[in-house]
Amino acid sequence: MPERVETDGETRYRFLGVEATRREAVALALGVVALFAVPDVTRLSDSLQLGVIHQGLLFGFAAVGLNLLLRHTKLTSFGHAAFFGTGAYATAVLAKYAGLQSVGLLLLGAIAAATVMAALIGALSLRHTGLYFALLTLAFGQLLYAIALGQSALGGSDGMPIRPGPANQPLLLGTTFEPAVYQILTYYLTVAVILVGLFVMYRITQSPFRNALDAIGQERTRARFIGLPVRRYVWAAFVISGVYGGVAGGLYAVVRQYVRPEGTLFFLRSGDILFMAILGGFRTLVGPLIGGVVLIFLQDVGQDVTQYYEFLTGVVLLVLVYGFPRGIVGSFRSGGVVSERLGQLRREPSAVADWARSAVRTTERKAVESLSSLRIILFGVD
Amino acid sequence: MAGTLETALVQTLNGVQFGFILFMIASGLTVILGILDVLNLAHGELFSIGAYAGIGVFGFVIGVVGPPSGVLGGVVFVLAVLVSVLLTAALLLPVGTAFEALFLRAIYDRDQVYQLVLTFALLLILLDVKKFVWGNTSLRTDAVYSAINSIPTSELVGLNYPTYNVFVILVGVAVVAGLFWFFDRTKTGRIVRATAIDREMATAIGVSTDRVFTLVFALGAFLAGFAGAMAVPPTAATLGMGTNPLVLSFVVIVIGGLGSLRGAFVGALLVGVIRSWMITLYPPGEIAAPFAIMALILLVKPEGLFGTWGETA
Amino acid sequence: MKRTEPTERDTGGIGRRRLLSAIGGSAVAAALAGCSTLLSDGGGQQSDDGGDSGGSIPEEPIQAGLLTFTKGAPGVLGIQAQRGAELAVQRINEAGGIGGQRRIELDVVDEGSNPLDSYNQFIEEGKEVTFGPISSGTHSQIAPEVEKNEVVNVGTDGTVTTLYEETVPDPTYSFRFQNYDIMEVVTMAREAVERIGADNISTVAGVNPGYSFGEDEMRVFTQAITKLTGAEVVYEGFPELGASDMSNHITSINSEQPDVTFSSLWGGDVTTFVRQASANDMFDSTTVFGTTLYSAAGDVPADALAGTDIYSGSRNYYWGHPALGNWQPGRELFDAATAQDGVTVPTAHYMSGYGAVTAWATAVEKAIDLLGTYPSQDQIAQMLEGHGFFTPAGYHNMAEDHQGSSNSFAGAMVYDDDLGAARLDDVNIYSAAETAPPPGVAGSAWLDSWSG
Repeated sequence: MPERVETDGETRYRFLGVEATRREAVALALGVVALFAVPDVTRLSDSLQLGVIHQGLLFGFAAVGLNLLLRHTKLTSFGHAAFFGTGAYATAVLAKYAGLQSVGLLLLGAIAAATVMAALIGALSLRHTGLYFALLTLAFGQLLYAIALGQSALGGSDGMPIRPGPANQPLLLGTTFEPAVYQILTYYLTVAVILVGLFVMYRITQSPFRNALDAIGQERTRARFIGLPVRRYVWAAFVISGVYGGVAGGLYAVVRQYVRPEGTLFFLRSGDILFMAILGGFRTLVGPLIGGVVLIFLQDVGQDVTQYYEFLTGVVLLVLVYGFPRGIVGSFRSGGVVSERLGQLRREPSAVADWARSAVRTTERKAVESLSSLRIILFGVD
Repeated sequence: MAGTLETALVQTLNGVQFGFILFMIASGLTVILGILDVLNLAHGELFSIGAYAGIGVFGFVIGVVGPPSGVLGGVVFVLAVLVSVLLTAALLLPVGTAFEALFLRAIYDRDQVYQLVLTFALLLILLDVKKFVWGNTSLRTDAVYSAINSIPTSELVGLNYPTYNVFVILVGVAVVAGLFWFFDRTKTGRIVRATAIDREMATAIGVSTDRVFTLVFALGAFLAGFAGAMAVPPTAATLGMGTNPLVLSFVVIVIGGLGSLRGAFVGALLVGVIRSWMITLYPPGEIAAPFAIMALILLVKPEGLFGTWGETA
Repeated sequence: MKRTEPTERDTGGIGRRRLLSAIGGSAVAAALAGCSTLLSDGGGQQSDDGGDSGGSIPEEPIQAGLLTFTKGAPGVLGIQAQRGAELAVQRINEAGGIGGQRRIELDVVDEGSNPLDSYNQFIEEGKEVTFGPISSGTHSQIAPEVEKNEVVNVGTDGTVTTLYEETVPDPTYSFRFQNYDIMEVVTMAREAVERIGADNISTVAGVNPGYSFGEDEMRVFTQAITKLTGAEVVYEGFPELGASDMSNHITSINSEQPDVTFSSLWGGDVTTFVRQASANDMFDSTTVFGTTLYSAAGDVPADALAGTDIYSGSRNYYWGHPALGNWQPGRELFDAATAQDGVTVPTAHYMSGYGAVTAWATAVEKAIDLLGTYPSQDQIAQMLEGHGFFTPAGYHNMAEDHQGSSNSFAGAMVYDDDLGAARLDDVNIYSAAETAPPPGVAGSAWLDSWSG
């Protein structure tokens, strides 16, 4: 049962190896309950769909993996879809050409393929940082996309179905199920995988490995000088992040039973995963997962509401960049915008008027500035 | 089989023509990257806005001028087309300025990640702005392509190659020359280069980096719009037309060197010609080859063929 | 069919009974065949032949779903199918609804994003019948699901040859109305031989969209033309969908100078290709035969077709044949279609939508006639097998192998200034026997068996 631990004057509870404050623990518990409740909730409402939320969770899970690189080693990967796609396609290939039918085996295959791919790409990308790293990962991702698109054995632009065996459906524990039941069971499988994955990631963030990664992220040369095996650690982090992507991709394939190059390997998918991490809050552990669900949900709900749903998503991202740089989860933590503002409001309710005034003033100033810049550009320096 | 040499030449010219359009797009991207340190993901959308807007401008200007007849008519028509392209590109200037001044400037000193998010957000917003203004279906301009093709050029040397493509190549050469001249010979251009080489020093000698940044971004947008207007007559303006050029531009600037104009030129022609030959000889290579080269360069010579801005123009 | 001879003088037109029995027994079928104005009292009344329904037909409207492209480049085809389906549904509802009781409510969803999810949503919402899709890839994806869900789907397109040969080899609930790939390809192979002569075709080339549909069509065309003429393939180009620059392929064709160039390009790609081909003087080197070039009829600009040498198929429907002045149902369909949003001329894809709905509706009507109650999914599926019905395009048969079987049309593609769109000149018609393998025989096996 939860132990009480006092650190730095804050009371935390420790349970099953996870340490959290009371608020965090409550949020965590609620989150787990929500995860399990999703299939029931979605049955009640037409606008909430299990498939959509499930997809969001899968991409979010890939984003959690990406975040290991982003948050600690400060490496921005623009090619994470490569691992997601590798996992997805490995599943499809195993189902079609190796005749594997069991979900468990298919997922293992996905993990193996993604690990190898991540090891390979990681080894080649190790030396780079910053923009070069981003562009290199983009190149590799697009290369895989080109291969999937170009090879008819991989289905070309039409993609591949995952329909092994006489039942045309992967077997869960050796049995086939009705489509609706299959969707729910695979959802719970995903939930299980996510909980395990989050726990593993949590343990990583509590370990000395995380501190080493942080040091590498801050200043590589210094890290090397103090004796950290930089290359090996970055490579390890890269592979771990790739595995998360591969697992997510494998599950995606098993659930949707169809994979296409555009949806799994294209660089816009990589961009999506990156932005999910940022949207959710890349300085947090759980943020990317939330970001995944929110982004996919936005796009889905947005499509029903208006045909200009990309604009909507763009505006949300803009609001994120300017107003909530710490992302959804980050803004609620201490130091984040939401908690700061709420605190301000609590102390001084009239703060709202101040905010409004300063917002107006800033907009005015910006408008004037840009008009003058435009004038200078068109008519020369004054 | 009609002249294999002629065919080879035409296929290469096809690639060269594509390469010049790619250069116009990539040059803006690389200049923005070199000076502002920003990878503008919305650049492809600026290109496609140029295409859409160009259709309207073409329709208007050509409507005034009328189809080409005779030598003088031909010259006038070509000039009219050039004027339309310049006008279209000019329409992108306020767009670029507004982006930089209103959105980008606020986040220069923040984590690089936020720039990517911002330019991506702008990409999404522009996608739907295009949808809103011009609708969902693809648009064409009828007036320009066949009209220019009716002017004989390559026919005069016995080569079967559309005049419009010759036009694109000639204009492309002019743009290259113009850009090099701008950065080498004009005061503004040299100030821009100075800011790229050493921002602090430039500030010390009195350059307003704010203005330089805005100018550079506007220039990049101008070039993208220019490319869009040049690219649209043989084909159509579609909502998704910006994605492919954007990704290929990444390849180009990596091959050439992030921020290098000369590199963008060489890289663009290289990508264009290789792509052209891939389509003819090994179709799966059309998409794969550029990225394979990109990866190779990043692994072997990350600074690209010509290094970054500052060392060479 | 000699329907156009009036025999009942006292009513001033064909007797209702005789017409209805010819059509298949119901006002709905008559309305869909386009013959309703031939009915002396203008139709719009309950079914009166056989079947005393006696209240065992439910009253609530039929929920139907249509999966099609409503936007983007494929919208050129998809919107045509949508309008066709909508007109059919409108005519059914105006004729009183299925079984004289049940109106149809058609829900149209864009196929462009997550079609599998959209299809599953149709089923979850309890749709009684689904129509669509347009894309072969999507059809291959959802056909197994159709069988699993046991709800009849009448495909508008998704014409890939292997759908009922490999993907779903023994379909129960999945049907496909429109002529499929092998039919339209063989039509154009025969058309090429017809126009140019087998002896004059020794080299062929292809410019086809770079995805499964284009590859499938080129493969089948190669098989067919080789059998018919012994020609060899000298070039195969596969530009990606929406490609802006096809000059490489065109240059290669200019270099090879094939007698025939085959193309399954559709929609906007057609205009791009034709324009750039003209600019490169490609029509000096070759003649183009295309299966779906006419899908761009409303899109291709006037000057693009000048100086070109193009023949196009129009699957199982061409609005101009029989000539509008001689064929009232065709005229009415044309007028109704062109009045709809987004239809300059109704193309074959228009008929895909119209015919799919008609196939289903007339089959259900027949079933109601026979059973006296509203049929189950299994009964509808059984009824559809071997089901014959009329549309303004003529007579169609939904064969036992679930593939629709109709005539095919092909002609020279030219621009008509009065019409403001392209049309087909000098139209040839090919019977289904000439272009389709016998039911149950695989396409490539059938082609293999040709001896000339």
